[in-house]
Amino acid sequence: MRVGGSTGRRPGAGTIAALVVLATGALCMALVPHLPWLGQFPDAWTLPMSAWIDTWLTWFLNLIKPGARLLSAALAYPMGWTKALLLHTPWPLLVALVTALGWYVGGMRLALLGFAGFSFVVASGYWVESMNTLSLVAVSVPLALLLGGATGILANEVPRVKSSVQTVMDVMQTVPTFAYLTPLLLLFGFGPVVGLIASAIYAAPPMARNVMLGLERIETDIKEAAIMSGGNRMQQLFLIEIPSAATQIMVGVNQSLMAALSMVIIAAVIGGFNDIGWEVLLTMRKAQFGDALLAGLVIVAFAIVIDRNSAGMARQQARHSRRITLAIIAVGAFVAVLAWLYLPAAGQLKLLVPVADWVDGRLTVFVRANGAALDSIKNTAMFYGLLPLRIGLDGAVLPFTWGFQWTGWMSAALLAASAAIGGVIAFQGRVAAGLLVPILAGMVETGIAELPWPFVLIGAGAVGWVAGGRRLALFAVLMLAAVLLSGLWEKALWSLYLSGAAVLTCAILGGAIGLICALSPLAWRVVQPVCDMLQTIPLFVFLIPVLMFFQIGEFSAFLAIILYAIVPMIRYTRHGLVSTPPDLIEAAVSSGATTWQTMREVRAPYAAPTILLGLNQTILYAFAMLVIAALIGTTGLGQSIFVALGQADVGLGITSGAAMAILALVADRLVQGFAAERRRALGL
Amino acid sequence: MTDTAPPDQPAIRCRDVWQVFGTGAAKCLPDALDRAGGDVRQAAQILRDDGLVPAVQNVSFDVKRGELFVIMGLSGSGKSTILRCISRLIDVTAGQIEIDGEDILTASKARMTQLRRRKLGMVFQHFGLFPHMSVLQNVAFPLKMQRQGRAERLRRAQEVIDLVGLKGREGAYPRQLSGGQRQRVGIARSLAVNPDVWFLDEPFSALDPLIRRQLQDEFIDIQARLRKSIVFITHDIAEALKIADRIAIMRDGQIVQIGTPSQIVLEPADDYVRDFTRDVAKGRHARLSSVLRPVDPDAPPAPDDPGLTVDMTLDEALNACMLLYQPVPVRGRDGQIVGMIDPADLANALQVDP
Repeated sequence: MRVGGSTGRRPGAGTIAALVVLATGALCMALVPHLPWLGQFPDAWTLPMSAWIDTWLTWFLNLIKPGARLLSAALAYPMGWTKALLLHTPWPLLVALVTALGWYVGGMRLALLGFAGFSFVVASGYWVESMNTLSLVAVSVPLALLLGGATGILANEVPRVKSSVQTVMDVMQTVPTFAYLTPLLLLFGFGPVVGLIASAIYAAPPMARNVMLGLERIETDIKEAAIMSGGNRMQQLFLIEIPSAATQIMVGVNQSLMAALSMVIIAAVIGGFNDIGWEVLLTMRKAQFGDALLAGLVIVAFAIVIDRNSAGMARQQARHSRRITLAIIAVGAFVAVLAWLYLPAAGQLKLLVPVADWVDGRLTVFVRANGAALDSIKNTAMFYGLLPLRIGLDGAVLPFTWGFQWTGWMSAALLAASAAIGGVIAFQGRVAAGLLVPILAGMVETGIAELPWPFVLIGAGAVGWVAGGRRLALFAVLMLAAVLLSGLWEKALWSLYLSGAAVLTCAILGGAIGLICALSPLAWRVVQPVCDMLQTIPLFVFLIPVLMFFQIGEFSAFLAIILYAIVPMIRYTRHGLVSTPPDLIEAAVSSGATTWQTMREVRAPYAAPTILLGLNQTILYAFAMLVIAALIGTTGLGQSIFVALGQADVGLGITSGAAMAILALVADRLVQGFAAERRRALGL
Repeated sequence: MTDTAPPDQPAIRCRDVWQVFGTGAAKCLPDALDRAGGDVRQAAQILRDDGLVPAVQNVSFDVKRGELFVIMGLSGSGKSTILRCISRLIDVTAGQIEIDGEDILTASKARMTQLRRRKLGMVFQHFGLFPHMSVLQNVAFPLKMQRQGRAERLRRAQEVIDLVGLKGREGAYPRQLSGGQRQRVGIARSLAVNPDVWFLDEPFSALDPLIRRQLQDEFIDIQARLRKSIVFITHDIAEALKIADRIAIMRDGQIVQIGTPSQIVLEPADDYVRDFTRDVAKGRHARLSSVLRPVDPDAPPAPDDPGLTVDMTLDEALNACMLLYQPVPVRGRDGQIVGMIDPADLANALQVDP
C-alpha cells in the first residue's frame, strides 16, 4: 500500500484514490435524494441476462442431453457395484481393512483413528447411509483423478493451454458448489448420478493443480538426466517425471478426496438417494438435532479418517509392517465370520440412538432454560452489529432497539466528527489514512446493502488501482458492472454485506488468535488440532451446531461462515509471524527491542504479505460457505442459487453463481494485488 | 567411437555457435550481425538492446578424442549453456555442432534419442538422481532405455557401481546418501552405457572441499583408465588446472582463451584471465617446457646436471636445482638434451604476479 505523502511532495496513489472515492461518496450522498436512480439501479436498465442464458443454455443442454443420459446410465453400473460390494462386505471386515490401512500408512495412531472412526459409524446405526455415500465417493474420485490428472499433464505438455487451464480452474474454484448442480440436474435428471458427476467435476481441479505444480517443480537436473538417459517423451513423463512428483500428486489426491466427499454431501440436497448427507438435512429440517449431530459426526469421522490416511500416503516415509497389517485383516475376517453367525447387521445396530435422543432432550431443556440468554446474544449482534452494517445507522437506529431515533443531525454530527478525526490524521502526514476515516463513516451511515452503485464501482476501481494498477482497476469495475447489469445487484450487495461482516469478524478474531498462537506455542498446541478439524469437516456440517442454538436465520448463517472461514486467518497470521528469519529477530533484539517492539516493528511488517494471503483465503472460504448457509435461511445470491436449484432454473442458477464468483474473484484479485505489492516492497 | 571415422577427426566440433534467449531470437540474430558488420561484441550489444539474452556468442572449439576439455567461467558466462547446446538439451540459435563428424543440430529427435542411448553420458551439478529409484535402478535406467535385458543391465550397472566405489549401497535411495555418494551415483549412471562422449556440468561444485578433492582424484583415475572425450564445466580455476588437458575460459558468452593449463597460467590472453590465475601457484601447473631456453651452442657445457626433464613442473625442477647457479640442461623424454634453464629464471617464473 502506498500511503500518500505529506504536503510538499506529490500525492501518492493511495491519496488520489481515497480522494476520488470520498468525492464520489459525498456526491452520491448529496444527490441520492434528488436522483433516486443513483441509489437504486433502475430495473429498466438491466439486461435480462438470466433469461438469455436460460434460453441459450437450455437449448444447448437439451442438445447434449441424450449423451449425458447415456453417461448417467453407464455410471449407474459401477456405482451399483460399489454400493453392493460395500453393503455386502461384513462390517467387521471393513472396519479391519480401514484399521489395517491406517497401520500400514501411519502406524498405531492412524490404526486407532481408523478403528475408532469406523466403529463409531457402525455404532451410529447409519451404516447403510454411510456406505451409500462412500460408494459415491469411491466412484467419483477415480473419475476426478483421471480428469484432473489428464488436465494437469496436458497443461504441462502444451504450454500454450496452461494459462487458460489455470484461469478456468480459478473460476471453478470460486463458483459456488450449488451452482454446479443446476445445469447438471437438467442434464442428468434427478438421482445420485448428478451428485456423482458434480463431485467428480468439483474434485478434479485440485488434482490438476497439484499435478501441474508437481511436474513444474521437478529439478531441471532430473528432467535433463531423463532426456540424457535416452528416454522418449512418454518414458520421461511416466517413468521419471510423474514418479518424481509423487509427493505433490498425492497431496492432490488428498485434496481431491476431501472435495469429493464435501460435494457428495452437499449434493444430497437434491435428494433421491438414501445417503448420510440427506439424513443430516432431513433430521435438521425436523429439528431432531440429536440425530442431526450424530449423522454429522459420522460425516466428520469419515472426513478425518479419509483425510489423515491419504495425507499419510503423501508423506514419504517407510511403511509399517506388512505382517501386522495382514494380521489385522485376518482378525477382521474372523470376527466377520462370528458376526455373520451371532451379530446383527450394521444397519440394525443403533447403539448410539439413545445417546442421540438424550442429547436431543438435554438440548431442548438447555435451549428452553437459556432461551432468553441465547436470544439476547443473537439480538445484540443483530441490532448493534449486523443490522447497522446492512442498512446503515440511519435505518437501524430505532427507539425500540437503540432507545432513540437516528436523525439527520446525528448523521451530520457523525460525518463532521469523522472528518475532524480524518483531518487530524491527514495533518500528521498520513493523508490517505485520514481520507479513509470519513469514507468508512459514510459507509456505516448508509449501510453496505444500500450503498449507491456508482460509489461501489468507483470504490472497487480505486482499490484495484492502488493494489495493482490500471488493469486490475479495469477488471474490478467491468466485473462489477456485469453484476449490476444482470439485475442481481441488490442480492449481490446483500451477499457482500454478510460475507463482509463475517470476513471482518474473522480478520479481527482470527488475527488475534493467530497472534496469541505466534506468541505462545502452548496456545498453538491447543488451537492447531481445532483448526485441523474445522478444515476437514465438510461445509454442510457447520450448520448443525449453529442451528441447534440459534435457529434458522441470518445470525446462524453469519456464525456458520465465521466458524468455517476463520481458520485460514489464524493459520496464516501465525505462520507469517513465526516465520520471520531468525537473523532479523536477532538484529532487532541486539538493537534493544522488547518482545512487543520486535513484534510490531519487525515481525508484523515481514508477515504482512502472508497475513494478506490468509485474508484472501478467508474471503474465498466465506463466499463458499455463504451459499451453503442459504440452506438455513438467508437472502442474497446464495438464496437465488438455491431457489434456482429447486426450480431447475438454469439461467438464474448460472447468473447467480457467476455473480457470486465475480464477487469472490474481484475480492481475491484485490487482496492478492496488495499482497504482491507488499512482497515486492519487502523484496521477497 | 566409430571405427570408420578418420583418426584426426575431433570428437566434438563447434563452429560459430550462438545461443540467444528470447522471442524471435532466430530472426534477430542475422539482423544484428548484419547491422554490426559481423562484429560479435557489437552484435551482442544490439541483441541485448532488443531485450534478448545472447548467452553464447560465436563460440568455436574442438575437443579431440580422449581429451579432457574444461570450460571455465563465472556464473552467467554461458558455460553451462554451451554444454546444453552440445548435448542438444536446448536448440542452438545459429552455428554448427558435430559429434564424431555427425551434425547433431540437424539430427532428428529419434536420432538424438539414439545418440543419447549409445554415445553420450552426462553428469549434473545437482546430481539429477531419480528420487523414486534405488542406486542400482538409477544406474541401470539408461540401459533400460536401451532395452537391455534385466539380468544384463543389472550386471553392467553393478560393474560401474563398483568402479565408482559404491559397492554395498546398491539398494539405497538417493535421499539416504551423502552428497559425495550421490554424485558417485550420477557418475556411474552416466558411464553405464559406456559413452564415447562424456559431459560433466559442474559435477563437484555442490560438494564440500574435502569430498570435492577426493572425487577429483578419483575422476582423474577413471579418466586415465577410460580415456573418454570429455567436456567438463567448472567455475573453479584450480579444478580446471588440476584436471584439464585444455581449458577454454569464457566471459559474457564468449571464449577469451583456449589453451593448456600452463598456457593459461603463463601466457594469459588478457587481464581477465590473468586475474583468474593471479593466486594460482604457477610452479604446480607450469612445466619446464614452457620456460625452456634453446641450447646456446657456443656456451661451455653445463657444470651440473640435476637430471631435469621437460615434463617436470617448475616446483619439481626448482627442488632439484635449488643450490645451483649455472644454467642446467633439460632433457626430452628420449634423454636427449633439448634446452637449458637458468635456476634464476626458474625462480622468477614462479613469482606470483603483483
